[in-house]
Amino acid sequence: MSWRQRIANVFRRGKLHRDIRRELAFHLAERADDLRARGLSETDARRQAQRQFGNFTFQIEETSDMNLSLWLDSAIRHVRFAARSLARSPGLTVAVVTTLALGIGANTAVFSALDTIVLRPLPYPESDRLVTLLQTGANGLVLPLAPVRLEDWDRMNQAFDGISGSYEDDATETSGELPEKLLNSHVASGFFQVLGVAPELGRTFSPEEERMGGAPAVIISDSFWRRRFGADPNVTSKRLRFGAESRAIAGVMPASFRYRPDVDIWMPVPRGVPWAQNRYFTWFIGIGRLKRGISLEQARANLGTVQAELGRQYPDTDRRIVPSLVYLKDFTIRNSRGSLWVVYGAVMLLLLIACTNNAALLLARATKRQQEISMRFSLGATRGSVTAQLLTETFLLAAMGSLAGLLAAAVAMRGFREIAHGFPRVDELRLDSGTLLYTLGCAVLATVFCGMVPAIRATRRDLRESLALVSRTQVGSRHRLQWSLVGIQVALSMTLLAGAGLLIRSFQELARVSPGFEARNVLAFHMSVGWAETGNFEPWRRRSETILDHLRSIPGVEGVALGPLPGASIAQLQELTLVEGRAESEPKLNAAVRQVTPTYFATMKIPRLTGRLCEETVNLRTGMVNRTFAEKYFRDTGIVGKHLQTSFGSVFGSMEIQGIVADSREDGLTVVPAPTVYPCVSSVYPGTNFLIRTALAPGTMLATLRRKIAEIEPSRSVYDMEPLEEHLTDVSSQGRMVTAVLGSFALIAIALASVGLYGTLSYLVNLRRREVGLRMALGAARGQIVSKFLRLGLLVSSLGCLAGLALAAGTTRLLRSMLFGVSPSDVLTLASVLAMVLAVTTAAALLPSFRASRVDPARVLRDD
Amino acid sequence: MANKNDILQGTLVLLVLRTLSVHKKLHGYAITQHIQTVSTDLLRVEEGSLYPALHRMEQAGWVRAEWGTTEKNREARFYSLTAAGRKQLVFEQMSWERLTQGVAKVLRHA
Repeated sequence: MSWRQRIANVFRRGKLHRDIRRELAFHLAERADDLRARGLSETDARRQAQRQFGNFTFQIEETSDMNLSLWLDSAIRHVRFAARSLARSPGLTVAVVTTLALGIGANTAVFSALDTIVLRPLPYPESDRLVTLLQTGANGLVLPLAPVRLEDWDRMNQAFDGISGSYEDDATETSGELPEKLLNSHVASGFFQVLGVAPELGRTFSPEEERMGGAPAVIISDSFWRRRFGADPNVTSKRLRFGAESRAIAGVMPASFRYRPDVDIWMPVPRGVPWAQNRYFTWFIGIGRLKRGISLEQARANLGTVQAELGRQYPDTDRRIVPSLVYLKDFTIRNSRGSLWVVYGAVMLLLLIACTNNAALLLARATKRQQEISMRFSLGATRGSVTAQLLTETFLLAAMGSLAGLLAAAVAMRGFREIAHGFPRVDELRLDSGTLLYTLGCAVLATVFCGMVPAIRATRRDLRESLALVSRTQVGSRHRLQWSLVGIQVALSMTLLAGAGLLIRSFQELARVSPGFEARNVLAFHMSVGWAETGNFEPWRRRSETILDHLRSIPGVEGVALGPLPGASIAQLQELTLVEGRAESEPKLNAAVRQVTPTYFATMKIPRLTGRLCEETVNLRTGMVNRTFAEKYFRDTGIVGKHLQTSFGSVFGSMEIQGIVADSREDGLTVVPAPTVYPCVSSVYPGTNFLIRTALAPGTMLATLRRKIAEIEPSRSVYDMEPLEEHLTDVSSQGRMVTAVLGSFALIAIALASVGLYGTLSYLVNLRRREVGLRMALGAARGQIVSKFLRLGLLVSSLGCLAGLALAAGTTRLLRSMLFGVSPSDVLTLASVLAMVLAVTTAAALLPSFRASRVDPARVLRDD
Repeated sequence: MANKNDILQGTLVLLVLRTLSVHKKLHGYAITQHIQTVSTDLLRVEEGSLYPALHRMEQAGWVRAEWGTTEKNREARFYSLTAAGRKQLVFEQMSWERLTQGVAKVLRHA
């Protein structure tokens, strides 16, 4: 009978009853026929048959019960029995449920992070067709697109439904009581159509609004709408003011639209605006929607042809440019993929350890219950039913564990959101049906893994096995499995510890690195500036100077500079040309270009090595280079006095290199300084950092600085004001997160492994009490007994360590990209982890071994 | 599932399997008749045990049941052995032999 039928029987009791009634009626009729054939009368025959059969209705009940009770009642019975038997051993139950809750909870939390960030598609319709478009220059640098090139690509390609793009800067909105700094995303035509997201209120830009000189409009974000307009449904009849310009609000984007999180407003960049015609510009992060059925490769080939055509039209600017296409998803999650998979691997190991531990515990329990199980066999239970019973127990444990694990996961997820703000898409994180399904899957797997081996072994109908049980002194091969489980746990914990150890060492190394600049007592902040303001150069320069002078005049301020955020700003390399000429055979001058004020070096305490400081009065006409640049390209001082030109040279002209400064790790503490050129500027530009060196702790200066800026520039807002040291901590938050997670997993793992070792050894000592007593009666010394058991425990843990070392050698290589200054096979780390594991497991083995030596021989012999 | 008829309970399955292995397709009544005849009336199958047992065996997948008509044109449920049932028969036979041998030894010595 199939399962389907069986379940159908439960619901179709009526039909089942009728069937049985028919069958039994047939039986009665046959019997009556027989009796009649032997000469009984019609009525007598029927009565006799009826009597022989007994209670007819009872028979029906009895028979149909076989259908139901066997498959439903027995399941309930199993569960009830399992619950009773678990309640009898609360210690074991708590231990197993807690380990499972930890394992499953952590696993669920990490899985949902992995699922949300890496696996799930981005929240756009058919998001797998979205591609980020950038341009690669001849020097291999990937840069944003020039506005005109974006338009050309959109017009000439055959692979995309549409190509658009966006770039961000600050806007100062002045229609409210105070000026408000907004993150403004400038979008090319068709931006929202390409992404396939419509405003929740109002509409996207009309052709009139996207036209050059058309009606000024703006689309606002959900959070800005709530914050500023209290979610007013009539907001589309209102306007925003930016300096001299007033813009009508066209629509409100939904809260779920997070193409660039934190963007407050979107403004159209009309096609063909005169100030965006330069083909050297690198402004737009392009976004394209592939036509249905077009692969990324086909699109790349098609855009390649388009760009080749452009190269013929504009050889100076376009000849050496190659389109760069990346799926939007890959572009969004970037390097988080690796660290999340590492954490997921770690949490899987943890679950594996938890299951192994539980398997060992349940195995010991099943062995203890061998007599009960034999009893059941002799009473006619089948192997299947005993196995089912044992598995039901495990499943019950796993179910409780998963439930607790789900709670743990909810808590862990909240914690994860706190510590993982370095990851993209964390705000999408939540418990959902997929996560629940995953937890259920974990529970089933855990049941099978933890319960199968003990159930199979305990129910083996093996005569030798049962006999072995009777003579309790005998130590059979059964323990080999238990010891293997302990060994596996030790090995897996060793692996986790090695990973965590390497990451911790990496952070220690990081702290030891001299960054080349001094981050202490430096306050960094931004001021809202739009690109449009900087166009009229000379007035803007004077205004910038006033701002900087005022800041300098504040008591307690030791230095004011503009520049990159040292240690946290990644600069792409650019190719520069030497105006004086350079042989073709010499290496190309690839360098990071960072615009700074001349005060930058003094403020950040980056020493000047040779030459003089660049001049403040002329913008971008003088510059400095760092030592790496000088040594790599010009053998030390050869560069001073020469002229360099960036690829925008035709716009800005060339700069004279005035001097050489020491290297500093501006790209990040883990990154070796690149050859760097510092064009010296004297004016503020959008996105630049103000760096203020303060005499006292920078935190005390916040209010003073804000007040001063409000005095001199009342229409500007100041934001992201934070001590530089805190910025530096933020940068390594992802690494810190992985280290914290791996570290805590490793500690849990080693704790579990020790418990496993302790449990197994205790169990063994218990089992061999009689043997130990006998030995002692025959004159064995306590020390001998202790060392006998200790040796056993240590043998297992050393073998586990060996296996763990081999495993670690394989797995720590996966961490390579996250390590700094430590090799994945760092001897010091591995040795100290080894020492730690051996120490902990020895401690775990000591107690049961000592207990063995306390066995009173007289009592053991008397017991026998 | 306590049953009064303990002696038969343990062996009924064996008897039914064996019967069905000889006669390919039988209804419940014929099974009782066959066991009774072959055992020369030494064994009597209680209907109260037979039908529950048949249904249980059906659920275990040892026998297959289908409705049909007898030569007397009555509707009856016919049982036949499955492959699993054949395997089970071998197993039941072996344990029966082990049991009888064991019991015999005990009786001889005790």
